[in-house]
Amino acid sequence: MLDLEKLEELFAQHVFNLEQDIIYFPIRHHSPACAYHLLQVLDQYQPEIVLIEGPEMANKLIPVLVDEGTKPPISLYYSYRNTHNPKKKVAFYYPMLEYSPEYAVLKQASKQGIPVQFIDLNYRSKEDDTLAKLAKTSFQDESLLTDSQFITSLCEKMHCRSFNELWEKIFEIEGLTKLSSTFVQEVFTYCTLSRLCYTDEQLQEEGNLAREAFMRKCIARAKESYKRILVVTGGFHTYGLVAPPTLNQSGSAVAALSGTNEQRVELQEEVTKQEVASQEKQEKVTGKQQGEEQIYPMVYTFEEADQLNGYASGMPYVNYYQQIWKQLSARKPTEVFKQSNLFMISTLSKELRKNEETISTSDGIEAYAMIQGLATMRQKREGGVYELQDSITSAFVKGETSFANVKPMELLSTLLTGNEIGEVAPNGFIPPIVKDFKESCSKLKLHMRTTIQHRKPLDLYSNEKHRQISHLLHCATYLDIGFASKKSGPDFVNYIDIHRMREIWSYTYTSLVEARLIEYASYGGTVKEVVIRKMEDELEQIPSHHSKEYAKRLMESHRMGLETLSATLYTAVKESLLQDGSFLSLCGTLSILNHMYSHRSLLGIQDESSLIPLLTQGYEQAVSRMYQIYRSQPDEHRECIQALKILGMLAKRDDANFDQERLLDDIASLLQMPDLAPILEGACIAILAQAYPVRRSEIVIRARSYILGTPDKVKLISSYLQGIFSTARDVLLYDDLLLRSLNELFINLSHEQFVEMAPELRLAFTNFTAAEVNLIMKQIAQFYHVDVTILEEEGISELVLVEAKTQDEAVRKEFAKWSLI
Amino acid sequence: MIKPPAEVLYEKELAALREEDQGVKPPNWLLSPIYVRDFIIGRNQPAMLDGEEIAITRKFYGNDILIERAIVTLAGNRGLMLVGEPGTAKTMLSELLSAAISGTSTNTIQGTAGTTEDMIKYSWNYAMLLDQGPSEQALVPSPLYNGMKQGILTRFEEITRCPSEAQDSLISIISDKVMNIPELSDGVLFAKPGFNIIATANIRDKGVNEMSSALKRRFNFETIKPIGNVKMESQIIQAQASSLLMYSGIDTEVDIDVVELLATTFMELRTGMTNEGYKIDIPQSVMSTAEAVSVYVQSAMTSYYYDHKFISLSRLVQNMLGTVAKENSKDLQVLKTYFAKVVKERAKGNELWNAYYQEKKWIEH
Repeated sequence: MLDLEKLEELFAQHVFNLEQDIIYFPIRHHSPACAYHLLQVLDQYQPEIVLIEGPEMANKLIPVLVDEGTKPPISLYYSYRNTHNPKKKVAFYYPMLEYSPEYAVLKQASKQGIPVQFIDLNYRSKEDDTLAKLAKTSFQDESLLTDSQFITSLCEKMHCRSFNELWEKIFEIEGLTKLSSTFVQEVFTYCTLSRLCYTDEQLQEEGNLAREAFMRKCIARAKESYKRILVVTGGFHTYGLVAPPTLNQSGSAVAALSGTNEQRVELQEEVTKQEVASQEKQEKVTGKQQGEEQIYPMVYTFEEADQLNGYASGMPYVNYYQQIWKQLSARKPTEVFKQSNLFMISTLSKELRKNEETISTSDGIEAYAMIQGLATMRQKREGGVYELQDSITSAFVKGETSFANVKPMELLSTLLTGNEIGEVAPNGFIPPIVKDFKESCSKLKLHMRTTIQHRKPLDLYSNEKHRQISHLLHCATYLDIGFASKKSGPDFVNYIDIHRMREIWSYTYTSLVEARLIEYASYGGTVKEVVIRKMEDELEQIPSHHSKEYAKRLMESHRMGLETLSATLYTAVKESLLQDGSFLSLCGTLSILNHMYSHRSLLGIQDESSLIPLLTQGYEQAVSRMYQIYRSQPDEHRECIQALKILGMLAKRDDANFDQERLLDDIASLLQMPDLAPILEGACIAILAQAYPVRRSEIVIRARSYILGTPDKVKLISSYLQGIFSTARDVLLYDDLLLRSLNELFINLSHEQFVEMAPELRLAFTNFTAAEVNLIMKQIAQFYHVDVTILEEEGISELVLVEAKTQDEAVRKEFAKWSLI
Repeated sequence: MIKPPAEVLYEKELAALREEDQGVKPPNWLLSPIYVRDFIIGRNQPAMLDGEEIAITRKFYGNDILIERAIVTLAGNRGLMLVGEPGTAKTMLSELLSAAISGTSTNTIQGTAGTTEDMIKYSWNYAMLLDQGPSEQALVPSPLYNGMKQGILTRFEEITRCPSEAQDSLISIISDKVMNIPELSDGVLFAKPGFNIIATANIRDKGVNEMSSALKRRFNFETIKPIGNVKMESQIIQAQASSLLMYSGIDTEVDIDVVELLATTFMELRTGMTNEGYKIDIPQSVMSTAEAVSVYVQSAMTSYYYDHKFISLSRLVQNMLGTVAKENSKDLQVLKTYFAKVVKERAKGNELWNAYYQEKKWIEH
């Protein structure tokens, strides 16, 4: 085991000795106290260079990061794509908040003209196929630091509910008032003890040893040119940097501590050499060199930076610590927590009152007093975020904790996290697509400053700007960047809700959106270009005879307002129509094209001349393949009827040159086929009868042939009727011939037969509207010379019946007495 | 004493802690907040009293953070309201708090539907009143009056069972810390520091009254949740049953395996979910830890007197019937199904559960 004295000695001599050429400042990512002390040490030590744990590739981005126009939260975004297997992608975030020690020192050093360098590996060994998973991968994974056994038992002993509370108690609250050297020593001891709970193998597996070897290499390189070096890394790594583990397993990590100074240095150098060599070897094996890597500066959000939202790095309650940081620059370190708590309580009260909760000033006073009381009891100098939460639970929640009472806690939790988005100064590194997307959004006045879900109703018909917004949001949806989702509105592709006049969208800009946009950077410079490129890729995957898929894309391209893409798609649809041999698919395409034609002004189709040839061509292709319905399967019949309806409808139109005669001839010849399914027979004859009134009587004749046929055929009448009613239900309305025949059939049916047929018949009649059913009812009533209101009359009541019965019996008795019966 | 109050039961622990405590105490408190917490949730390190090591045991199982908040509330301006389902040890917590802070847990108003304002504030010894006229001697002080006068905690049990108008008499007393006695010439009683109120309340139980918003504003609420951990519940049942049995003069050992079985049954019926993750029906009766303790104690007593055993499973099942079928006879069906499905399955691999299953005959009648 390592004894504490040795650790102290190591610290005093090799970690934080201001007389030495190098000092190591151990930090916890996103800790305001670390940042505070780090800036003081920077002042005190006046290094010639500052080395920071961060991807080496990001060195070129430093001028952007320190630019006045850059406002945290921001992040570095690193992506790596394996060229052999493009699906194997790796992406990492390296978030920086205003109070992240790395960012604070970066900014301050650059102000003082001290050079800064990142010294960590770019690449980590985790590879994943999905972008969604990448969203939560961070460079600053702290799970090793926070999950160790040592920490768990320490929390229990110190009456802390979690590592974060323990950290806040010891380092954020107490640490602020301590001397920097004491503070640094405590962080070092703490992190080192935590690290010693893991074996070298575990550290190796997580990739920590390789990273530390690389960092040591960078430090050694810096040593050649600089005399005073400040190294800023996660506290977990400091021990690894000053006392590297021996790779040849000749002894434990302690070996590095026990030798003389020269021995230590020698050992260190040897280990570094060995590690770098093995690392290079490994890189060759894994083929890492063959990938392409990119790094970009991007905006980040408080919500995503909050550890509680599932990111394994840094501190929770980002907005709270942002307040602490703000206060730190304005007042004495002994008062910052008090002031921040006060600010949070008053902001929360204000928000709650806005939400119509009754919160009085006395509740606020009580909460504030409670924070002090809890802090004293928990032996904290000031109350922190945990005392704040406890005091709100006690003082603001009235009554039993239940769903009805959670508002204060809910609001507090959003307040503690915050909803800010950062800003990155204009620069040459941001991919043009990100810039284009943001510019388009701000031109259309979409909110990009906070991470709240924004709701946007769009008047598609009356407002040109709204149509443009709709185009952009459709583009974003198509690219699947997680920016917007349509809550309601017409869906022309699937023909749902097309009567709606408005679209309602909800959208929010997060760093994930930006990351996904960056992923598209290689596709093109503007959103439109990227959409076109993605669409082209997709089109390549669609078999050339799937005309319906092409038509769908054409419709989509219009929803996204991409005229140039539409032009290409017109040709693609035209070609696919020629190659498509399926009647149903052709009719599906026709249906989409027809919808486009009828909503052409909304879809922004200026020139209908390219649409009409497609329609006529599709029509001709479909008619020439109509014979296929004869062989269709029962489950396709409904679709066939829809197809026939579309054709019938188009044929009647005279704004384009549809060959109606050919369609009707083909239908007529279909009708002559023996064994045509009754439902299709019904549909065909109905279309024919609509075009040629002479043939109306045929409907009745064909119906009667079923009615008077063998019992099996009788049952098919309902299917035949379904065919008729779904295409031309007016046949029952314009004369009573069919109705009479049907009536005749039904009254001649036995009760069992009728019951058996009833469900199918019902289904056939569902095609009629209520008013039409009423009309039919009237007609039937006329057959029997009764009034239709007879159905609405109440039946004879039981009472009257009973009375009549007794009277009848009495009369019978009397008649019998008189021998009249 | 059938049931000694907390300050008697834990007399030595309290004395030892008082001796050791050097912390800052709120006025009139016998222990500093940290020591009050340690008294309630226990600590590893024993305290010393006259050279003897006194172990500081855990007395309340559950949310430790809640205890801290409750203690700080009592040192402040508002009263403490403990709410939660029946049998979640609200009363026990309130006793422990007052025993630790004021040294007595008996300064208590027991709220009922018949509680009047007189009983909350003060009433008169009518013989003396008629004889001498209104005087301090003729005044019969209530626990609240005593609390204010002596600067100690007043416990108010079952506050929601009192009529709303009686509850409301507390409003101005809590906020102004003063009680007016118009019958006396200098009739103003100012509360001494150290005075506060711990109230316990059931909010969802049958036959309770709504609290006014004004009263709610004067209390900090702490909701005590039923225990969600069989091991912890077993510990509580074991600890409480053994002390109750001891005070009843029964020399018996508490069988931890049986306690765990009982705790498992109660927890599963309370949550509607078995350990294996199957959903089961929930009886209407309250399946609280307190009920489990009483089932155990009754079973142990009957077994002791009639069967000369520490505890028999048949007595346990018989007593359980009374608890489960308290509200609704349909609940018996729930217990029956529980035996048929859950207990039967477990009986296959476990001797104790098998013996338990054999006792299902008592439910079937």
